[in-house]
Amino acid sequence: MGTKFDLLSTVEDGGCSAKLPAGLLSEMLSKLPVSDDPRLLVDVDTHDDAGVYKINEEVALIFTTDFFPPICSDAFEFGEVAAANALSDVFAMGGTPLMALNLMMFSQEKIPLEVFAEILKGGHSKVKEAGALVVGGHTIDDHPPKFGLAVVGTVHPDQLITNAGATPGDLLVLTKFLGTGALVSGMKNSFCHAADYKRALDQMKHLNRKGAELAVKYGVSSMTDITGFGLAGHALKMAEASQVSFRMRTAQLPLLPGAYQVFEKGSIPGAAFRNLEFTGSQVHFTRGVSYTMKMLVHDAQTSGGLLMSVNPDHANRLVHELNELDPLAGGAIVGEVLKKSPRAIYYE
Amino acid sequence: MKTIDTKGLKCPHPLIMVKEGLLGLEAGEVLKVEIDNDTSLKNLVSFLRDQGVEPEVTSSGKVHTLVTTVPEAALDIIDAAAYCSSDDSARDYAVCIKSELMGEGDPELGRILMETFVESLKLQDQLPTHVILYNGGVKLAMKQSPVCAALAELEELGIRVMLCGTCIDHYGLQMDIGVGMISNMVVITETLASAGHVVTP
Repeated sequence: MGTKFDLLSTVEDGGCSAKLPAGLLSEMLSKLPVSDDPRLLVDVDTHDDAGVYKINEEVALIFTTDFFPPICSDAFEFGEVAAANALSDVFAMGGTPLMALNLMMFSQEKIPLEVFAEILKGGHSKVKEAGALVVGGHTIDDHPPKFGLAVVGTVHPDQLITNAGATPGDLLVLTKFLGTGALVSGMKNSFCHAADYKRALDQMKHLNRKGAELAVKYGVSSMTDITGFGLAGHALKMAEASQVSFRMRTAQLPLLPGAYQVFEKGSIPGAAFRNLEFTGSQVHFTRGVSYTMKMLVHDAQTSGGLLMSVNPDHANRLVHELNELDPLAGGAIVGEVLKKSPRAIYYE
Repeated sequence: MKTIDTKGLKCPHPLIMVKEGLLGLEAGEVLKVEIDNDTSLKNLVSFLRDQGVEPEVTSSGKVHTLVTTVPEAALDIIDAAAYCSSDDSARDYAVCIKSELMGEGDPELGRILMETFVESLKLQDQLPTHVILYNGGVKLAMKQSPVCAALAELEELGIRVMLCGTCIDHYGLQMDIGVGMISNMVVITETLASAGHVVTP
């Protein structure tokens, strides 16, 4: 391949950690008019992963987009990660992706054109793996580059899984390991093993397809995917949308190998601090939870796992089946749903 | 006093250097950090506050000087695993409050005694891990309760204040809760059973 272009050389903040602070975003969104069209099953109101529009009694359309600057050096892999991340929003609603459009910002003056092609190829391969089609896209000249997809999927209206259905008594299941932001930071600052970083990268490229299929199979009551606002931020949005509180056990959280060590050394990306500021007093930690763990639950995830609220009779079987069928899965029961208490999330 | 110069460096490097720097120091010593990145400064202050110290920041132009005493917690002794398996675990205790009143006899006296008891919990060298409130005890965690603030202070210290959900429903107090995590009997039983010991006023 000769000398390969390093995409990470173009950015400071990569992946979902490039999101605007959640608090700022909520404030701006609250100023927009809301639609009361009954065909709109999910809108921005509950900060869910995608918009959902009911076409008829059998079909609802899921519509979503996501894009970000490079999260890794290799162009093909960046395409894969960005695509897996964008497709995840459809999976997180219990749906099936059908079509995708490429969204690309790229400056051919600053980056060799082969890189452009490689990013698209990587994205294409993931869309294909998800059973969907790339049907076009749009590119504008911009630097640093950004890539992602707009995705359309469908779901049966009765099988739609929103982030607003968590019920007291349910158990909380997480389907991937936490710590992708930590390992990207660790890799940049030489605080982690290459193998641990590779594991994080493999996970970021991994589709949430299997988890979503099992969520539909077991009829989970609520679901969301964990991305830029971290586990704490997305769990907070889910608890608030569902009008419940969560109790989460940090000892049960599936962590990527090496992630804890990276944060312990202080190599904590700014995004984790932004997320911590956002969750504020809505999240409580008992004394036994270390500072490092507290920051890890706020670590911005790129293409992170699904967080599901599951009937306790099914939770164990769902986790077991997921880990059996999906070799990259990190399925675990990480907490439970409580009645709405003064705070949204209680970590211990 | 040790000085760490982080000028010219961006997040997360200042925090990495401070964490490294803290390792060689004893709790109570003074550490000075020079920093010229606003975000890193904010994150550093967030880190130190979380460890229980309040750093002093002075600024001249774009350069900030942060002075802090070395917090005990920063040495990351309170690691989750270490905490659970510490020698102190036998001394760990949960406080179980069954009623609004402490002791039998004059209810007015019982009320005063209970207030004093809850207020005095935070003064203990060894803090409880949990405060569990059930039956009439849940009323103590309501917004209008005289000890609501004291319980909230305990929660801020990282103590889990746990309320019996059935009891909240029974007394119709859903709208009045001021502090605490609504829980169920499974969790309460598990917590009582796994506590080092249980203190009941």
